[in-house]
Amino acid sequence: MDLLELRDISKFYGNVKALQNIDLTVKQGEWLAIMGPSGSGKTTMMNIIGCMDKPSNGSVVLEGTDISKENAKNLTNIRRDKIGLIFQQFHLITYLTALENVMAAQYYHSMPDEKEALEALERVGLRDRARHLPSQLSGGEQQRVCIARALINYPMLILADEPTGNLDEMNEGIVLDIFKQLHRDGSTIVVVTHDPEVAEGTQRTVVLEHGRISRITQNENK
Amino acid sequence: MYFRMITSSLIRRRSRMIVALLAVAIGATILSGLVTIYYDIPRQMGQEFRSYGANLILVPSGDDTVLGYDVAERVKTFIAKDDAVGIAPYRYGTIKVNEQPLMAAGTDINEVKRTSPYWFITGQWPEADKEALIGQEVADLIRLSPGSRFTATGTDGGGNSFSRDFVVSGIVQTGGTEEAFIFMSLSDYGDMMGNSGGIDVVECSISASQTALDDIVSQISENIENVTPRLVKRVTESEGSVLSKLQALVYLVTVVVLLLTMICVATTMMAVVTERRKEIGLKKALGAANKSIVMEFLGEGLLLGAFGGLLGVALGFMFAQTVSMNVFSRPISFQSFLIPATLIISVAITGLACLIPVRNATDVDPAIVLRGE
Repeated sequence: MDLLELRDISKFYGNVKALQNIDLTVKQGEWLAIMGPSGSGKTTMMNIIGCMDKPSNGSVVLEGTDISKENAKNLTNIRRDKIGLIFQQFHLITYLTALENVMAAQYYHSMPDEKEALEALERVGLRDRARHLPSQLSGGEQQRVCIARALINYPMLILADEPTGNLDEMNEGIVLDIFKQLHRDGSTIVVVTHDPEVAEGTQRTVVLEHGRISRITQNENK
Repeated sequence: MYFRMITSSLIRRRSRMIVALLAVAIGATILSGLVTIYYDIPRQMGQEFRSYGANLILVPSGDDTVLGYDVAERVKTFIAKDDAVGIAPYRYGTIKVNEQPLMAAGTDINEVKRTSPYWFITGQWPEADKEALIGQEVADLIRLSPGSRFTATGTDGGGNSFSRDFVVSGIVQTGGTEEAFIFMSLSDYGDMMGNSGGIDVVECSISASQTALDDIVSQISENIENVTPRLVKRVTESEGSVLSKLQALVYLVTVVVLLLTMICVATTMMAVVTERRKEIGLKKALGAANKSIVMEFLGEGLLLGAFGGLLGVALGFMFAQTVSMNVFSRPISFQSFLIPATLIISVAITGLACLIPVRNATDVDPAIVLRGE
């Protein structure tokens, strides 16, 4: 079943063509990587899939509903209810503990539940660090908090932007293991990455060049 | 979670919040301090003006030529206890000293000290019976000095002759008619002249506004028969004029300082909020509605305003007290209405100062967070 469908998407910033005629379908439970050099349109595509930007042309269909014409308020609601975001820079709220950062996402979604937030942190191996502030956590730990926050509202799509870009090899391995487990559990994951090792772990790799899809690779053994 | 988030933001972003709290507290301090001074000026200046002498005189009217002995006590019932600085009754009569006819005045010496603090005394005020305070003119005329003795002779109210010995306790200089009088206690005067008459005049020194004085005058006129209360216009009018000008000046300064403070607090709060645009973008990316973000920042602003306002009330009173002690050498009275007033103004200013930049910041594109800008 198709979860996300991009139909002939284009995005223009003045005379700059950031994306041109993109057609892409993401199936439920699929793990997809988007690769490409800087300026290829990866971030623009991320923003459109993540409901943070709207295409100039074409339509975005999420779970059978065209969301490309929705206003900012409705896009915020869709993002809150259906999408979990993981950032390269982690973007934790600095004055909230790991637990409170996870609970903040619950708060904006519905009702905060400390027990559930602790379980989410336990899933990423950080239950014992729940009361620590981001400044007291390593980069890898902060990224795991970011993942726990993205998962807490059971999103139908996890969107990760360079999730291992700021991590050392050991923490990269930990984060990829979490993604693998999420994929096994049936989560749909779209990862934007420069890292071929991350892309190799996915089922399919979409390569962007100059705002167009230059190739789609079905990864082996997935 | 809402309170957890805003209190965490205030407590864990201490250095930033202390800057904002200081801005609010300083603003509230200046505001409450100046308003305290503004409201206390009439009282403080009223006390100062009392050193210029009586501002209300009671004289007999109608068929009576004297006032009753109880008039001073009756008048006190129309004056607030703290406002009655001094109420001095006077009896006047002619006596002779060394065959020189002179005016004697029997009065309540302790009350005169309060109604006429400007009198310059060489020697001391009469403290015992048979002591008299003589005017400079009298001293020059009959060559008396503090410690000298003199004999007063004359005829009392019943037509009987009297002769009484007095000791000069001091000599009074005022530059006015008082220098031609011999002042003594009412009891000494009564022993000499008899008590068949009454009080000739009562001088009152009252610390009150022109309106309050007018009110006292009308109450005395209505309630005490055969008494004419007269305001000493040169004192009361100049007092009212100076007070109103001084209050207007402090009012103007307060308004200007309040405006400057508002701008300062608003600018600080705007800077504090604006530097958190990235956080606002992140919260929007997480799905926070604009309303939630506005409420969070507003909550922080209101808490800051409340804490800053409370701090300002305490510091403002200390500021006003210091000013009062240095300028008037008297403690200032605390205006209790300033607690809610300062709190409400501080909360309103910080709330408003937060709202404007937060409203702008909610327009921030959450995509900037993904771009890492």
